[in-house]
Amino acid sequence: MPLFFRLIKKYRVAAITAIVLMLVELAVELVQPLLISKIIDDGIARHDAGVVLIWCGVLVAGTLLAFGAGILSSFYAAHVSQSLGYDIREKLYGKVQAFSYSVFNRFATSSLITRLTNDVTQVQDTTFMGLRFMLRVPLVVIGSMIMALVVHAGLGFLLLLTVPALILFIVWMVKKAASLFKKVQQRLDNVNGVMQENLTGMRLIRVFVRREQEAARFARHSGELMQSSASALRLTEITLPFIVLIMNAGIIAVLWFGQLEIRAGSATTGEVVAIVNYSLRTAGALSALSMLVAAFSRAHASAQRINDTMETDEETQRISDETDKIEETIMEGSVEFDRVAFRYPNTAAPVLEDISFRASPGYTVAILGATGSGKSSLVQLILRLYEEDEGNILIDGRNVREWPIRKLHDSIGYVPQEVVLFTGTIRDNIAWGLEGVSLEQVTKAARLAQIHDTIVQLPNGYDTLLGQRGINLSGGQKQRISIARALIRRPAILVLDDSTSALDVRTEGALLQAISSLRCTTFLITQKISSTLNANLIVLLDDGRLIAQGNHMQLMASNTLYRRIYESQFGEEGSHVGSLK
Amino acid sequence: MWEALSEPFRYRKPTKAAKEYKEQEAGVTVKRPKQKAKNWQATLKRVWSYLAHRKGRLSLVLFMVLLSSGLTLLGPYLIGRAIDHYLEGPGGAPWLLFLVGLAAVYVCSSLVSWLQNIWMISIAQETVYRMRVDLFGHLHKLPIPFFAKRQRGELMSRMTNDIDNVSSTLNSSAIQIFSSILILVGTVIVMLLLSPLLTLLTFLVVPLMALGMKWITRRTGVLFKERQGNLGDLNGYIEETLSGQRIVKAFSQEERVIEEFGERNRRIKLSGFWAQAISGFIPKLMNGLNNLSFAIIAGIGGLLAIRGAITVGVIIVFVEYARQFTRPLNDLANQWNTLLSAVAGAERVFEILDEDEEAKDETAAESIESVQGEVVFSHVSFSYNPGEHTLKDISFEARPGETIAIIGPTGAGKTSLIQLLSRFYEADSGNITVDGHDIKSIRRESLRSHMAFVLQDSFLFEGTIRDNIRYGKLDTTDDQVEQAAKLANAHSFISRLPGGYDKILQGDGSGISQGQKQLLAIARAILADPAILVLDEATSSIDTVTEIKIQEGLQRLMEGRTSFVIAHRLNTIRRADQILVLKDGKLLERGSHEELLAKPGLYSELFHGHVQLQ
Repeated sequence: MPLFFRLIKKYRVAAITAIVLMLVELAVELVQPLLISKIIDDGIARHDAGVVLIWCGVLVAGTLLAFGAGILSSFYAAHVSQSLGYDIREKLYGKVQAFSYSVFNRFATSSLITRLTNDVTQVQDTTFMGLRFMLRVPLVVIGSMIMALVVHAGLGFLLLLTVPALILFIVWMVKKAASLFKKVQQRLDNVNGVMQENLTGMRLIRVFVRREQEAARFARHSGELMQSSASALRLTEITLPFIVLIMNAGIIAVLWFGQLEIRAGSATTGEVVAIVNYSLRTAGALSALSMLVAAFSRAHASAQRINDTMETDEETQRISDETDKIEETIMEGSVEFDRVAFRYPNTAAPVLEDISFRASPGYTVAILGATGSGKSSLVQLILRLYEEDEGNILIDGRNVREWPIRKLHDSIGYVPQEVVLFTGTIRDNIAWGLEGVSLEQVTKAARLAQIHDTIVQLPNGYDTLLGQRGINLSGGQKQRISIARALIRRPAILVLDDSTSALDVRTEGALLQAISSLRCTTFLITQKISSTLNANLIVLLDDGRLIAQGNHMQLMASNTLYRRIYESQFGEEGSHVGSLK
Repeated sequence: MWEALSEPFRYRKPTKAAKEYKEQEAGVTVKRPKQKAKNWQATLKRVWSYLAHRKGRLSLVLFMVLLSSGLTLLGPYLIGRAIDHYLEGPGGAPWLLFLVGLAAVYVCSSLVSWLQNIWMISIAQETVYRMRVDLFGHLHKLPIPFFAKRQRGELMSRMTNDIDNVSSTLNSSAIQIFSSILILVGTVIVMLLLSPLLTLLTFLVVPLMALGMKWITRRTGVLFKERQGNLGDLNGYIEETLSGQRIVKAFSQEERVIEEFGERNRRIKLSGFWAQAISGFIPKLMNGLNNLSFAIIAGIGGLLAIRGAITVGVIIVFVEYARQFTRPLNDLANQWNTLLSAVAGAERVFEILDEDEEAKDETAAESIESVQGEVVFSHVSFSYNPGEHTLKDISFEARPGETIAIIGPTGAGKTSLIQLLSRFYEADSGNITVDGHDIKSIRRESLRSHMAFVLQDSFLFEGTIRDNIRYGKLDTTDDQVEQAAKLANAHSFISRLPGGYDKILQGDGSGISQGQKQLLAIARAILADPAILVLDEATSSIDTVTEIKIQEGLQRLMEGRTSFVIAHRLNTIRRADQILVLKDGKLLERGSHEELLAKPGLYSELFHGHVQLQ
């Protein structure tokens, strides 16, 4: 909640205006029973038509005033709540983007999405309601009490008695409901999680014919959600009947004592009628309460979850910091690992241990190793997606931690293992993150990435829209677009994390040829020995350790594992083709 | 100060153009059937068809609503009587009896309204549950191309936000709407009985109300739909950028995505503002009319009372009734917001439900019990979009147990061929048969249950490693799971993980590498024990060392099964019984490694290309 108050402060003028306008409406409504009692006691009882008409005129004037104020308040309340929602979303999204990659991974993506969408909407809608109704309830109650006391102190006091009981009850209810709705929200997360997973893995589910099991799993989570929603709502539904009952008890008391007072001559009929009217209004106002309590509890839970995210420890990445002062850019692209060790947060086993090697500018470094040997982790350290625990990584002789992260990333072209493309055209995807890029530059990058010919054959060429994750292209085509996206930045360092796996040998060969003409330091994680043959440096990893480095000839001579890999891929064919020639 | 005060009046009117631009940008070029601006009747009817599942309980609720409406009407009437007959009277036993009666009415009223709400909640929750499950089930019946064209976040939004809206409306609004109508009718009747003249005067506000409501709803319907649309768009963007966070980070594009997010955020603020502000007029209008009728009744009623035409009690009853007459409308109006967005939401949910399912299996389609694995393609052509040719006149024959390698340049149609075999897509012409049965005559699920796939993107589900391996065949023992993992060479890395087979994988399989994922996918296929096996770049992310080790397992896996292998590595390809060489959707060459090498063609070219890299 502190976040909520901090943010709403910005709109206090509009918020207060909305409330003041609402008070005008309220005042008009609260005066009505008083005027009615005047009409009864001064007008009807004394047969004075003039008095009746005067008060009637006042009532009509009040009506117009209240209506005008109401319409205005709608604008102010909508402005405050929408601005608040906008601000929260902006702050939250900014915060999430500022998380370091390892902090980001602590949250399930689906949960972050719910927080950014559902939760914010919840808070926003409740704010709107709050500005218009929620305050109205206590104000009607308080106003009615005061007016009742003004009309007749003794009878008004009876009305007053019911209030403490109601307040205690409501406080208890809000507390209880908040925890129940928190659970609802958690279960909603689960339901959404299953949903998201199914949308992602739809093909696999189809081919394994797991529709029924998935449906059962979904039904189970939805069922849990249904149960907790029902029990939360059931609780809040007690509110209204209970409040009305208490207020009605008050009315009966007013009638009983009112009758006694009238007989004793210390009260008029008009006064009793006015007080009954005030209690009816109080009950009416409170009857909106159960809805408000439910909405408020939900919003409270949502605000809590937003807050949790916002207050996630400040291990956020510095997008800009003191290193921004460094003017130089990475020119050469030499990379040196000096006794680097790394483990993922919250895991015991190190992923990389004691890694040292040096890549001179323009080198092609092939990183080879078994699945899980730490190849991807190694290149992610260069990008500072994660940071090394021990040792140093130097780029152009300067520690990576000292490079401004922006400059670092601008100089490194990264192509991850899993292709990520964004909704938009092919051109947008290749130029992603750059401004003012000409079609020429895009085409050039696409040519280098060996995808140009494919693109121009598409009906809309470079303007072809890609669905999410570029689903309407083949794996190899997506990989090459992702490579073009890295190449267009003319990077000093290029990182290809097994990014050519879906390319056939010829295309891959052409691609590597094109890249070698770029004179950038290239890190190539690969399975194919054909790609390592021309590498200046081959780094062979096994279980997080660097077991050999050197060029092809050196490793062939010195390392048995490397030789075995080579033979498995080339030995036989080599001789076979040899014989063909 | 003035700045802040005038702010709400400086919002730009949302334009249709902005929306069109957005749709274009989001790539939603798919035609949307049944997307009329709003088809209230049809939508409500469909919601009703869900509610109708609990007819029994619903009629109980209905009865309760009837009862509580009656009690609500009785309250003010009794107070009016009290004013006219007892307040200035002598009191005593009749007065006491009267109060006891009033108390009884109040207690019953609270009790009944509590019961009706509780029952309604369970009905509403069940309805929403059913809609969710239906929608989910339907998604699984939609053809794969549907998903290729939709943004996932946008679909998610329909599953979550829209259904949520329906839920909250049913919870509170349904009863309120119904009881409002009842109370309305009852009030009018009682009012007419008490004083026809005053009733007529009270009704003066009705035309005003109708006019005002029409003005408002004409605007809000469109606005709410637009707001929901913008919300879906925003969700899509959030989903996409958060799933692709690695790239966002690696390219230092945080600021830019924040900016683009801001653009969408502004859009939703704008449409949200107008939707909220204008729909906010409704309760104000109701309040205003409420106050107006109060003034009329007090004024005219007062004059009538002076003439002795009515009593003071009648005025009081009327004042209270007039409120009761507008209060249901007020409630209706308050519920209007939720109702509007709920109907818009329900409409969007039903839109998905209306998407055509994967063409139904032919009525004559049957299940096949056992499959030998003979697969024949004869003159099969296929295209994703009219006018293109993804596959042209493909014919080949795979005998049971054969290994068929499919090779060709990227984009040659290799994966499409497999998609046809699994009936994700349907061939435009030609036949595909399995064991002599046209696959169109076999139920899809039955067909697929005889196949196992190891795909390029090996997708893992949230759950333990064990569950993930067991995914294709649930009735297997832990032993069999481990056996399969051993064959796939996954056992050793699994045992090294904290938790071993019981390690819970996150939805995106983070924590293990791409290659390890593929090993799990292979283990999954081994366990599924199919007659037809499809390996689509299954080993592309597995290193050679590991591949050597699992080669034996893979070999054993392929033994006795018809296997289709899309691969680039020659040592995988050369062992195949047949090699299909595809290019530009055409089957160029077909034969064994030796046969194809012996003649000039793409294969020998590719093969030499490979060697040239040395």
